[in-house]
Amino acid sequence: MNISLPDLKKGFTEAGYICNESTALTVFLTLELNKPLLIEGAPGVGKTEMGKVLAEIMAADLIRLQCYEGLDETKALYEWNYQRQLLRIQMNRNLEEGQVREEDLFSEQYLLERPLLKAIQAQKRPVLLIDEVDKCDPEFEAFLFEVLSDFQVSIPELGTIKARQIPVVVLTSNNERELSDGLKRRCLYLYLDFPSVEDEVRIIKAKVPEAADRLAWEVARVVARLRQEGDLRKKPSIAETLDWVRALVALNRSRLDGKLVGETLNLVLKTRADQEYFRQEIGAPEIDSVLKQSKDGGETSQCR
Amino acid sequence: MPLKEQLPDSNLKENLVTFTNLLRREGLPVSTTETMDALRALERVDLSSRVDFKSALQATLVKNRRDQDYFERLFEYFFAPPEVRQRGEEKAAAYKEQAKEQMAQATRELQFKGESLQLSPAELAQYSTMTSEQRGRLQDFMQKTESGVNVEESFRPILETLVKSHLRYFRTGSSRERGAQPSGGSPEGAGSGSGQKAALSEIDIQAISASELPQAEQLLQKLSRKLAVQILRRRRSGPRSGPLDLRRSLRDNMRYGGIIFKLKHRPKRRSREQILLLCDVSASMKQYSTFVIHFMHGLREAVRDLSCFSFSDGLENMTPELKKKGNLQHLLDRVIRRSEIWGGGTNLGRSLQVLLNKYPDLLNFRTTVIVVSDTKTIAIDQAAGELNKLKDRVRRIVWLNPLPPEQWSDFRSVEALGALTEMWPCSTISQLEAVLIGRLGNLPGGRNVSGGRGC
Repeated sequence: MNISLPDLKKGFTEAGYICNESTALTVFLTLELNKPLLIEGAPGVGKTEMGKVLAEIMAADLIRLQCYEGLDETKALYEWNYQRQLLRIQMNRNLEEGQVREEDLFSEQYLLERPLLKAIQAQKRPVLLIDEVDKCDPEFEAFLFEVLSDFQVSIPELGTIKARQIPVVVLTSNNERELSDGLKRRCLYLYLDFPSVEDEVRIIKAKVPEAADRLAWEVARVVARLRQEGDLRKKPSIAETLDWVRALVALNRSRLDGKLVGETLNLVLKTRADQEYFRQEIGAPEIDSVLKQSKDGGETSQCR
Repeated sequence: MPLKEQLPDSNLKENLVTFTNLLRREGLPVSTTETMDALRALERVDLSSRVDFKSALQATLVKNRRDQDYFERLFEYFFAPPEVRQRGEEKAAAYKEQAKEQMAQATRELQFKGESLQLSPAELAQYSTMTSEQRGRLQDFMQKTESGVNVEESFRPILETLVKSHLRYFRTGSSRERGAQPSGGSPEGAGSGSGQKAALSEIDIQAISASELPQAEQLLQKLSRKLAVQILRRRRSGPRSGPLDLRRSLRDNMRYGGIIFKLKHRPKRRSREQILLLCDVSASMKQYSTFVIHFMHGLREAVRDLSCFSFSDGLENMTPELKKKGNLQHLLDRVIRRSEIWGGGTNLGRSLQVLLNKYPDLLNFRTTVIVVSDTKTIAIDQAAGELNKLKDRVRRIVWLNPLPPEQWSDFRSVEALGALTEMWPCSTISQLEAVLIGRLGNLPGGRNVSGGRGC
């Protein structure tokens, strides 16, 4: 399915995924050039969400491969159903029928499809999301870029299986390990940063429409202020912003102030060290001053 | 204005190839595949939109967050509108003229008995970049030499050598600082040193100013946290962490009549690695060592057995002080105030002798020693002897040397001590990151002074 750039942008908006022009264009090129897309960025900026939204826009199946240390081909590509093969041999022996043939045991009936093979064999072009690729071992990464360049796999007992449709591949990485040049060369690259205050307000409005305009602005402003702190161990992500807004809506709050930030801090800062840092180095007066600035800056009038 | 009209000529392919060559010159790994991808991408975007054109190139040619700054800079230069381009060319021409004048002045000023010294253009350029105070000091020295008793023409080679070593000394501190000169007029001249401030991680640590220190410390903290996550993750065992355990597999599958349905694996063997950091805190090394201590301190969650020692003409154990709670900079300030060796001369041999005799418990087959030093020490042979003894007692010795590799051959100490250790150049934060992630994160790579792979 070919999709034009305006349609793609419209799709993102309808799915509530707020992104800038450059991001939309990169995704469009990924689809046009049939290349995998490697997305890097801090946790919680919407990398995984991009894969999900893309599947939604294209009305395609989402096949997800979650990477972790120790992941190997048997978990990612295929595995023979060992137990079933053994049972078949046992049953055959008990029934005292003719010898079971090797070809019978190594047929598709006994093949366990894992995400990569599933994506290659799909009838309709699926979206293959390879999540947190930086967590897998370098050996698996090398194997992966072989699959991603040819979109075909060889199973010794069955032969080579070619992709019926080249899947839309989205790889995400938190950049905790440098990925190999070989993998990067095969992909288009997109770095997702934390959104600007304006974009974050749009995200809040799209995801939590019941939140008051002023509350959305104030939360976005405070979160942006927290992200400026280089000493925080875990900066608040978009998901945390949304959780916070939902919690504030549940508490029937339409305004934010320093005291309320202190009371609901555990929704935004998720480590004890960060919470202590906030109390010692930032504090409620600083938040009040940030909110006052945003009010003076005319954003309140914009959202009315 | 359509972008094609803004290009030096309308041949898009040629311009793209020139542009990718510039990116390569800046160190970006742009292959032919990526150039082809860029070309295919450009066929699918609206070339009249500068944003689309730039995004298409960025998505296909840049594969790293760090490289995006270089790309932005080169893109803005290479695909600049004609008026901006012309301004840049005028500026570059003016700079070239100024540089020519400065060279002529340097030749006039560096004379002995009315004749210019034999100095290379690079040395003359180095002289031009020095402050007037530094130049004045060098001229004073030359005048005093010239007016000395019995100073004849035969003294010229000695003076030239002395002046060259002065210039080299200044170059060490400033050569890899921010690229300050504007580039040449042609787009090809927009390579390294194209007028923009280099990233903090690429600046020589010694050249990082006091105002940039907090930013540099933040960067170090971020890097060490990243490495700590990496080390901690490697400690957690995966589902198939170790080799097959046949005995457990058989025992566990007895319930299936001996048919092995479920395979059992042995857990991975984890050795408890110890790290001993040995920092040269003599006058020339203080800032380098402080940075490495900052980096290693960020790893304390991941590397529990970390000992920190400082040395110059003696050895001091900083571990108990640095283990205390509180801001690292405050702890370090206290260490420096109480210390008797910070800022002194260097006697590595004596310091190692104290380490071997006084702290034998810390030295065993699990210990990795990280030495931070420029190798400039008195009694090189004694130092090499003691280092050899240390080498026999520990797992490995990694040496972080802030001297530029091109100067290594000038120092006998580098040869003598480098042969006994894995020596790495380490004068910038990015080099520090590369070496320590490579060494501690167990990633491939390694270089020995006696000839190995580069950092």
